[in-house]
Amino acid sequence: MTRLTFSEIDHTVLETLRPAGRGYWTAVGILFAGVLVGASCWAYQIATGIGVGGQNIPVAWGTYLINFVFWVGIAHSGTLISAILHLLRARWRNPIARAAETMTVFAVCTAGLFPFIHLGRVWVVHYMLPLPNQRTLWPNFQSPLMFDVVAISTYLTVSSLFWYTGMLPDLARVRDTAEGFRKRVFTILSLGWTGTHEQWRHYTRIYLFFAALATPLVVSVHSVVSWDFALGIVPGWHTTIFAPYFVAGAIHSGLAMVLTLMIPLRRIFGYERLITLHVLESVAKTIILTGLIVGFAYGTELFVAWYSRNIVEMETFRWRLTGEYAYGFWLMVLCNVAVPILFFFRRIRTSIPWLFVISIIVNIGMWFERFVIIIGAVAHDFLPHAWGLYGPTWVELGIMLGSFSLFFFLFMLFCKHLPSVSMTEMKETLVEGSGDGY
Amino acid sequence: MDRRTFLKILASGSVGFATGYSPDPYGGSRPDKTLYSLVNAPEDMVTGAPTWYATTCRECPAGCGILAKNREGRVIKLEGNPLHPVNRGSLCMRGQAALQGVYHPDRLQTPMVKEGNKWRKISFAEAQHLLNGRLAAAAQGGRDGIAMVTETVGQTQMDLFRLCLDAWKASPPIIFEPFAYESLKGANEAVFGRRVLPSYRMESADLLVAFGADFLETWLSPVEYARRFKSMHSINDKGEKGFFCHVSPFQSLTGANADLWLACHPGTESVVALGLLREALAAGLGSGLPRPFLAELEILAPPFTRELVAERTGIAPGDYARLIEALVRSRRPLVLGTGAAAADASAVLTDMAANCLNWVLDPALSRLDFAHPHRVQTASTRSQVVEFFRSMKDTAPQVLLLHNVNPVYAMPGVESVEAAITNERTFTVSFSCFLDETSQLADLVFPVRLPLECWDEYAGKEGLPSTLQPAMGRLTEAPQLGDVLLAAYGGTDLKEGKAKAFLVSRFLNQGIVKDEGEWLRTLQQGGVFRERDLGASNSRSPVPQPDPSRLNPLRQIPEGDRSGFTFVAAPSLRFFDGRGANRPWLCEIPDPLTRVAWQTPVLMHPATMKAEALQQGDRVRISHAGKGIEAPIYDAPWVKPGVLVMPMGQGHFAYGRYAKDKGINPLALLPAGAEKAGDGPVHVISGVFLRRTGSREPLARTDGARIPYGRKIALSVPLDGLEELKQLRLPGLTMWDFPMTLPLPEGYDPTRDFYPPHGHDRYRWSMVVDLDRCIGCGACAAACYAENNIGIVGEEQVRRGREMAWLSVERYLDPVDASRVTFLPLMCQHCDNAPCESVCPVYAPHHGKEGMNNQIYNRCIGTRFCSQNCPYKVRRFNWFAWEWPEPLQLQLNPNVTVRSKGVMEKCSFCIQRIKEVHGRAENEKRPIRDGEAVPACVQTCPTGALTFGSLMDPESRARRLVDDPRAYQILGYLNTKPAVIYLRKVIQQL
Repeated sequence: MTRLTFSEIDHTVLETLRPAGRGYWTAVGILFAGVLVGASCWAYQIATGIGVGGQNIPVAWGTYLINFVFWVGIAHSGTLISAILHLLRARWRNPIARAAETMTVFAVCTAGLFPFIHLGRVWVVHYMLPLPNQRTLWPNFQSPLMFDVVAISTYLTVSSLFWYTGMLPDLARVRDTAEGFRKRVFTILSLGWTGTHEQWRHYTRIYLFFAALATPLVVSVHSVVSWDFALGIVPGWHTTIFAPYFVAGAIHSGLAMVLTLMIPLRRIFGYERLITLHVLESVAKTIILTGLIVGFAYGTELFVAWYSRNIVEMETFRWRLTGEYAYGFWLMVLCNVAVPILFFFRRIRTSIPWLFVISIIVNIGMWFERFVIIIGAVAHDFLPHAWGLYGPTWVELGIMLGSFSLFFFLFMLFCKHLPSVSMTEMKETLVEGSGDGY
Repeated sequence: MDRRTFLKILASGSVGFATGYSPDPYGGSRPDKTLYSLVNAPEDMVTGAPTWYATTCRECPAGCGILAKNREGRVIKLEGNPLHPVNRGSLCMRGQAALQGVYHPDRLQTPMVKEGNKWRKISFAEAQHLLNGRLAAAAQGGRDGIAMVTETVGQTQMDLFRLCLDAWKASPPIIFEPFAYESLKGANEAVFGRRVLPSYRMESADLLVAFGADFLETWLSPVEYARRFKSMHSINDKGEKGFFCHVSPFQSLTGANADLWLACHPGTESVVALGLLREALAAGLGSGLPRPFLAELEILAPPFTRELVAERTGIAPGDYARLIEALVRSRRPLVLGTGAAAADASAVLTDMAANCLNWVLDPALSRLDFAHPHRVQTASTRSQVVEFFRSMKDTAPQVLLLHNVNPVYAMPGVESVEAAITNERTFTVSFSCFLDETSQLADLVFPVRLPLECWDEYAGKEGLPSTLQPAMGRLTEAPQLGDVLLAAYGGTDLKEGKAKAFLVSRFLNQGIVKDEGEWLRTLQQGGVFRERDLGASNSRSPVPQPDPSRLNPLRQIPEGDRSGFTFVAAPSLRFFDGRGANRPWLCEIPDPLTRVAWQTPVLMHPATMKAEALQQGDRVRISHAGKGIEAPIYDAPWVKPGVLVMPMGQGHFAYGRYAKDKGINPLALLPAGAEKAGDGPVHVISGVFLRRTGSREPLARTDGARIPYGRKIALSVPLDGLEELKQLRLPGLTMWDFPMTLPLPEGYDPTRDFYPPHGHDRYRWSMVVDLDRCIGCGACAAACYAENNIGIVGEEQVRRGREMAWLSVERYLDPVDASRVTFLPLMCQHCDNAPCESVCPVYAPHHGKEGMNNQIYNRCIGTRFCSQNCPYKVRRFNWFAWEWPEPLQLQLNPNVTVRSKGVMEKCSFCIQRIKEVHGRAENEKRPIRDGEAVPACVQTCPTGALTFGSLMDPESRARRLVDDPRAYQILGYLNTKPAVIYLRKVIQQL
């Protein structure tokens, strides 16, 4: 295998920004239609009432909150890959950092919609903002939902800035060869980047600082999301393990989503020489780690429930294993813990079809993990007479379809209009020539 | 002067009006255009302040007194009249729901005459004209050209009917009541020599044995008997509690309240009764009875040995032996007969045996009150009714008048009913406000005023004349039935006021009231109540003398027919005989035992289900003698294996939107006509076949699980464990050793609490729920719906877990003995450490100054986190904008917000009532007195299970009850510090 050259990197990446064909726009159109389906469902729900979903008493939270947590989880790996692995000098992250960061930004945007969709009266959502008013009504900062507002908006801000900052030299590179309208747009976007030594010095500093700043957020955001549950008193929620458990789960699902996105991207854009099998393999190895962590968390939860001798906790977990939603639990164990173990086999983790299929399986498993936690816990909590079951309705499924469509729609637009692999960082890899196989 | 002013003056006792008042107070027959108008408001009407009218409930023949709360011209709430000796301030759920009859969206506005197969709306004047013509023609045609069927009415109305019918040369009306207690009357006639329905002094008994009488549901006078029952069957100051044994093939709500349920085979109750008689005689009881009577008993009782009883009835011999022992030992036993669910050929035998047993156990019959028989005893027997309709085939009177009866629904098997009503030679007039099954077949439907809009009198028990007066402005032009008949009697146009004049003159002439002033006072208090304690003595009515001559039927030993399944149609607490089925509240509030709303499942023992390989919700076809019905299965351990039980009341094919095509009518399976032995209907049949249909009907259940899973929820204590409870010290942090922690500063413990305690402003409202007194009747839930504008969600949404009840009476079964039932009224616990408060991002659940957890609807954005975090799951969410089809919205309480879609709601402790009391106390510059603030549920509870008060008042009843050793807090170990304190149910075994 010949060594990559600077010009090959530039060429490969810039090639992806050429005007797209009919197939691409058809796909974008279909995804946009999916977005419209979701939007219509939401409009219908606002007009009719949240009851068009399947939620009830006791299960007052349904797929909206599952999807919220799911997308926040997806959003995790972007920052993990770009920030933490950057700080740790794990060079294999360079080819996928851009796409993963993009995934983060779009996933947070998608996730951020769900708390709104979920509200009974979304038209008064501004009550959550600390707006001065003559009745001195204030939001309740004791509420985990207020933590969420702060955490998610911080995360969105920082990850967007991080994403944009990291993209600056690449935007300038696109500008240099673009013509006409695109040139004007990229001129503005690249903020006058000329590549002087001074600019590079600032750039590398700020990138490092952002990475350092974003790192705690990786931990904090999903910890805060987990407190939506852990600060409640519901058995199955009220546990101190939730923060690390959720963070590990989030990374697990985020890495899987990275694979899900990278494998087609690599194939379609001919990135095989940039996003090498080694990169995918490294992701797969990390998935083994996160899979084992969540597996350990599942086990710990069960053990603590048993060890506590608290009959309510014990019943909750007995039911989780054997009750009406046991299929969700076993699906989650199978998809999140058992299947990723296959990555221990080199043949499997270096096989593109296997990687792709398992990445999707992990995502399904992680969705069900949230189902098991969010639905399962309240469906079977303190008062047996109040126990009840829940099933999503077509409106919820429509909105879920809309959310996936929105995410992929944005990602499709991104990968044809912005450099989806960081040319800068790829070149850094070449120059530094560390022992990572380059 | 308008009618409202007139009412006000009457109600407020101003002098000057009575019988002779001649200007037409009704201002013609038009309905009030506006129920009130500030332009010409009555002088004493204060906007925002209610006026109360005393009247009488006519939802069943019991005749409870009610106070109707009128706000701005419309009645918005009914409460029991505390002065009325029957119900003493309480009301059952059917009574509460009477309002929904008045405001029913399907209530007929005008008369309708049938032309061909179509209805044509006509005016009331036209209808009256038509009626006058028909009646006059029929009267001229000779004797019995006119016939009438009515529900049970008061004596005044009956006199009026008779006056008219006599003039028309017609016979007195048939009084049709689906529950007419034929077997009780027959047995009383046979044993006591009187065809009456006496009252029972349950409160003075120490042992109660019932052979199916569902006296907590529909039997005779359920509110009254619930109170009397609980005054013997709740723990008293001496630590004693009466014992109640229920002998029946299934439990029903009454049986669920029994200490011992003897599950006998259907139709074998008489064997148990005679067996007990044998044992009582063997123990030497009844020796003081007259010789011939005793001799007869000594002939008929001995064959009923313990072995025979065990063999015929399927009762466990051990339980039976213990009952015998208790019965013999008891100092004040009382035996009650059968209820409608036991109606078959053996019922009269059971009732006769029960009567004999009463006599033997208590030769003075001191717990039977013959001075105050129930009014429903005037009802015709089922044989008379069936015979009446059958004979109409030949006689075919020219006019048939039906007053508020629905025989087509209640006797679906009797073809002659439909034939008689639809006979071409007979002009059938139905005086009904609803197009029910019977009215649908009539030639003229003539809506008349409902009891809440009428002048009338009704005595649920003899010697208790209770008055009815219009409690509100008029929604329709409908006249009062009495006025219609009197107009027809005189052959004149409809002129209102005559029936009232008839009523007042009757009261004066019969000396019930002395003068007009007393009449007004009578109206104000709702009747003439000379005795507060009903029938404390038998002074006015001599005890009957025993007569052995008619005891012959008891000599035979019944053979139980055990082929196939036995099917029982049971009266429903919610729908009574079916008349309540069109009231959305009654449909929506689930059955107390099954916790199923809107539907009629067929109840079956789990073992039977297993044997038949059936699952809950499977639809089965039940067939008998060529008839069949289909219904979903419900597994009920409180039913004897092999027995199918189905509640009556639903399965209408007319009767408005809430009743039509909802549930199933079990009567459709039963044989037509009456059984011979007791003249009553047949509600029990054996030899029934069961076939699965393959389809399923998911049940609209409101319960998740039936047992408490070992949690501190619905607790009980054995009678002999009370002392132990007093010694109990709870020092720990786990579910069972966490101490009682009151929602007061004294409940603050720095080692357990993270946040400082709440201070309260003078009051800390709290409720004490005595599980030992709660019978699970659900009257509280209905009162809550009425008071708090709670939405009706319908069958589909209930199935999806979206019922809105702020207060639900949860039903828990004992995990070991499923026949032991504990009812747990559960509402917001108004915790001091409320888990809902801390999680809401916008402070919509807000801790009030008086300790209540207030839900601020305007502030709520609908995250539903509060409900997720509520361990009691008492919060309800407005999933949609619920509808009140016009004019149901007129019932809404103007003091309570109607919640919009997307907000959370829950029990508020009826804060609007507390605020009202605040205003009163402030005006009078005094603190609120204990017992002054009363939430709707507390107000209506027939057994006094709920107590409301401030915990900061050391003298309040609630505060003192908290010191009861039985007191506990549900899941108190969560340190939520609930303000609703429960007192354990006291259980006992023989």
